[in-house]
Amino acid sequence: MRARLCLLFWMIVASIHAIDFEADVWTKVVSRSCLKCHKPGGDAEDTRLVLLDPAVSGGKDWLTHNHQVLTRIAGIRKKSSNEPLVLLKVTEEVKHEGGEVLPRGSTRFQILEKFVREGAMTAVARKNDTSFFDGVTMINDTRLLRRVTLSLAGRLPAEAERTQIEQGGLKSMDVILDALMKEEAFYERLLEGFNDILLMRGVDGVPERILGYRNFGNTRNWHQKVKFDEIADTKERTQAKYTLTRRYRESILYEPYALIDHIVRNDRPFTELITADYLMVSPYTAKGYGIFDELKDRFRDSEDHMEFIPAKLKQLNLRNGKPDQVTPTGYYPHSGLLTTFHYLQRYPTTDTNRNRQRARKYFEHFLGIDVMELAPRVTDAAAVDAKYDVPTMEAADCVVCHKSVDPIAGLFQDYQNPNNDFGPFGPRKEGWFKDMFGPGTRPDELPESETWRALQWLGQRTAADPRFAVAMVEHVYYILTGRKTLRPPKDIDSPLFDARQRAYREQRNEIERIAEVFRNTKFNLKSAFKTWVRSRFYRADGVAVQQLDPERATELDDLGLVRLLAPEQLHRKIRAIFDYEWTLVTRESYYRILYGGIDSKAVTERILEPSGAMGAIQRIMANEVACKTVPIDFAKERSKRRLFPNIEADVLPDEEARIRAAIVHLHSLILGREDEPDDPEVTRSYELFAGIVSDANEVERFDPRENYFCRASFKEVRLPDPKYTLRAWRAVVTYLLRQPEFLYE
Amino acid sequence: MNRRDLIQLCGLAGLGLTTPIGVRAETREPDPYEGPFYLVFNASGGWDTTYLMDPKGTDSINRLYQEGDIQTEGNFRYAPNTEHIQAGMSNEDFFRRYASELLVFNGLDYSVNNHSPCARYTATGKLDSNIYPTFAALVAACQGPECPLAFLTFGNYSGTGNLIPMARIPYLPTLKKIAQADSPGGNHRYHDGFVSDRIERTLKEQLDTRLSKTQLPRSKRAQSTLYAAQLNSRTLKRALPHISNNAPKQRLAKQAEIALSSFKAGICVSANLSIGQFDSHGNNDRDQMKLIPEFLAGIDYAVRRAEALGIREKLVLVIQSEMGRTPHYNKGNGKDHWSIGSIMFMGHGIKGNRLLGETDGGQFAIPFDPKSLTPNPDKGIRVRPEHIHLALRQHAGIEEHKFSKRFSLKVSGAESLEKFWG
Repeated sequence: MRARLCLLFWMIVASIHAIDFEADVWTKVVSRSCLKCHKPGGDAEDTRLVLLDPAVSGGKDWLTHNHQVLTRIAGIRKKSSNEPLVLLKVTEEVKHEGGEVLPRGSTRFQILEKFVREGAMTAVARKNDTSFFDGVTMINDTRLLRRVTLSLAGRLPAEAERTQIEQGGLKSMDVILDALMKEEAFYERLLEGFNDILLMRGVDGVPERILGYRNFGNTRNWHQKVKFDEIADTKERTQAKYTLTRRYRESILYEPYALIDHIVRNDRPFTELITADYLMVSPYTAKGYGIFDELKDRFRDSEDHMEFIPAKLKQLNLRNGKPDQVTPTGYYPHSGLLTTFHYLQRYPTTDTNRNRQRARKYFEHFLGIDVMELAPRVTDAAAVDAKYDVPTMEAADCVVCHKSVDPIAGLFQDYQNPNNDFGPFGPRKEGWFKDMFGPGTRPDELPESETWRALQWLGQRTAADPRFAVAMVEHVYYILTGRKTLRPPKDIDSPLFDARQRAYREQRNEIERIAEVFRNTKFNLKSAFKTWVRSRFYRADGVAVQQLDPERATELDDLGLVRLLAPEQLHRKIRAIFDYEWTLVTRESYYRILYGGIDSKAVTERILEPSGAMGAIQRIMANEVACKTVPIDFAKERSKRRLFPNIEADVLPDEEARIRAAIVHLHSLILGREDEPDDPEVTRSYELFAGIVSDANEVERFDPRENYFCRASFKEVRLPDPKYTLRAWRAVVTYLLRQPEFLYE
Repeated sequence: MNRRDLIQLCGLAGLGLTTPIGVRAETREPDPYEGPFYLVFNASGGWDTTYLMDPKGTDSINRLYQEGDIQTEGNFRYAPNTEHIQAGMSNEDFFRRYASELLVFNGLDYSVNNHSPCARYTATGKLDSNIYPTFAALVAACQGPECPLAFLTFGNYSGTGNLIPMARIPYLPTLKKIAQADSPGGNHRYHDGFVSDRIERTLKEQLDTRLSKTQLPRSKRAQSTLYAAQLNSRTLKRALPHISNNAPKQRLAKQAEIALSSFKAGICVSANLSIGQFDSHGNNDRDQMKLIPEFLAGIDYAVRRAEALGIREKLVLVIQSEMGRTPHYNKGNGKDHWSIGSIMFMGHGIKGNRLLGETDGGQFAIPFDPKSLTPNPDKGIRVRPEHIHLALRQHAGIEEHKFSKRFSLKVSGAESLEKFWG
């Protein structure tokens, strides 16, 4: 048995041949097990092993550097045994602050051991020298145009845009997008997408409490003082008060997103998201802050609760007018979202949490790092807690994360007020915690002179961090595709690891390329949208090979848009195509949540695959939309019809060419397909239509009128349908509405 | 190809394996799923186990009772709390009513003490991965993928491993509405029967044709999943006779009512139930005395309602939280995160009145012998979520299922808990 195990062991080792430094040593071992501590600013930055982090390498050749460093380290041996020291360190056979990181016998250890024992080696040429997109077909430009206009503007392409794309091809997409990104609908979609990420609409309590009692207690409830005495009717007066409150609250919740709107609409650098030295206010929120009088002349319409302008708050005062904050400038130190009360209230803190939640969200939202993604296992976390007075500063297992998180938490120290109603502003009376790593961004500490503007200091450093651009490009990818970018694969023992790693690496390269474009356009977010739209990752649509082997299928697994439309998108698409407001999944929050939507509070992640419950809603939608639009369309004169501009409801299947032409139009309008009349999909729809008419003729009796529930309105009479053709058309539309081409993007 | 394989196709594609060519979708409605049914109760935020099933009674750990006040019922010791609660179910009532059915494990080691990784670890049995399915999702994918609401979730970590869609039904009336998808108002139909049949057959033919062609894996997966979702949604109508007009108001009972109606209708395999706010950093005793009774009352409601529906014997209950609370109070009278906790089970196939595992006086886990199921400080193992999850998979009879193997827990035979369920 033992001999068999030995043989198996050596077979495994032998199977690791021709080690590639990047693919094997770096990807599978060092980047996962060493980099977190052994880098500048890391817990092991004062050791001989200091590696460059690719995410912040700033264009340096990190791979060559790290290869050289590791080769040098591999040559160091323990004097007494002549064993490679690095192998003894990773197994903690000699003292290693990071403990045992690679158990002997593990695949990772074997890779490192082979690298160490075979001495210096040069990077092996990449195994995959073929294009990642070989055999992958792209969506054609016309369909891409439809995808983009529906996705970003909630409408079908205009005739002029079609002409533009037909004549100019993909190159003309930038011009089309430049125009599209001026439309209001684009900003609706943009801000909806950013709310999915930032979730600020999910702040607890009534929105006016975002403006804390401590500093705005005298002004935040201005709406309650409006009496509407000029309205004589009591009901009308009450209704006016309700309307005012509703608008005020809507305005408050929109305010942080107005900042995003302002930056993007005016082509300002998107770094202002975390550096803007202003906030956006509407006439309504300006009253809440008590600054309306000084701003009122700048509003075009001071009654418009959704008109936002940039403004600055003066340094904060208490309700009694005494200073609560003293700044050298006399102004509140605005720093984009970092200092908006909405962000701080959405992610509140406590005396025990100590702003760590905010630090975590900061990393996630602005640097694209999930610090909780893979928390390291601790042999006995409870014992560690008990052993150290301050585990987060003393126990290696804890320090590895807290050394990054706690300095950021410390930068939020002026917003430590745990009583949300009082507002987030308020440093601790006792001063900031001493049993935490001090405020800063590793490896730099916050200078004393900057403490009054700690979040501005953070915002400026964040904007200069290469990971900020990458994170924003990832956010745009999420808005366009509905899913997050790939994470590095973990299971190095899987036979499909290399395929997953390649998929990850290829996508990562594209993200970095687009981030570079984003940086080079002075952080204009529109450039990220335009570059993603032209990217093959957004345009991939099919494969032109007979079969995909498991490795290739794994490589391509995440490719292709194929996004289930969110409730809001489904609503907009129906409106765009049918000019009909189907509001079941947007009107009531429980149907929105049931159909995979979010409420930004408890339900914060969209469902990406339809459940049976969602399948039922799709059936309801298909039934209702067909019911409410097909008879109405036929009731209109031809020139005004969308669905059936070239055919009447009583044409029988015998006139096959006319029926097929009508189906081609429906396929184009509803599904975005460009079918010929003899396309198999057209044939299928035709056979459905003809089959239903035929079946009806075999039924002894049927009502010669359309369904009672499918009248154009309550006042309309039921349309005649003596040959069942109207109902057959309704069935065809129902069928089309249930297809992936309609329900997915 | 049968229906179950069709649904599983989605998972296969999701993990990058090739999809068989020439598969044919089905159009017949699946048979009702008849159990067992899995209810996973989550005390989200981290419960204080010393105020429930792992009492200590020393001043530094518990201020509301002393060691001598600890109650017993069968083989259990539990913290008394009748005098400290305003509403809900007391520990005394809970243990009196359910001790004979309960299996409690004390001294579960979560390894870390942050909410996000702990919740993921507790739900999936895997700490160092964010793609593993929760047990509830896994068992639903293995045992009832054709159910329209196979895996219901009301919160907490709900990863599905791409095996099966999750379903959210926030209110009971919404279940009624979607169960009548083809009827405006309930008594009429949008389409005559022969029309509906034609539509369904045409959709099926279209899917068959498309699945026979090579496509990007995402496209293929989307088509399969969409077809399955729409087809299986037809069985939602089975829920109609079981939707109560007297829905409970309490938050856990409300969730349980939706899950149990779906179980009874044979359209659901598992449900993830959750109430939050257990994270009692601020005022531990006040918060825990409010929430533990609410939580236990929700469990009690579920069991009683299941009995009324005639499915109690088929119910498996997992009762858990993502972490415990420190064995000492902080300066704000709260308790912070603690990586040692407890878990409880009861129901189908579980022998009750059994207390396994132990913590010492300082609330540290005592190593445990997985074979004799007794504490063994010298040679025992630290029982972690992966050990519990392997036992759960064995209990459900899915440990050899291809989905379970795909998401292997990598627990050695020597560490596998033996005869855990009695």
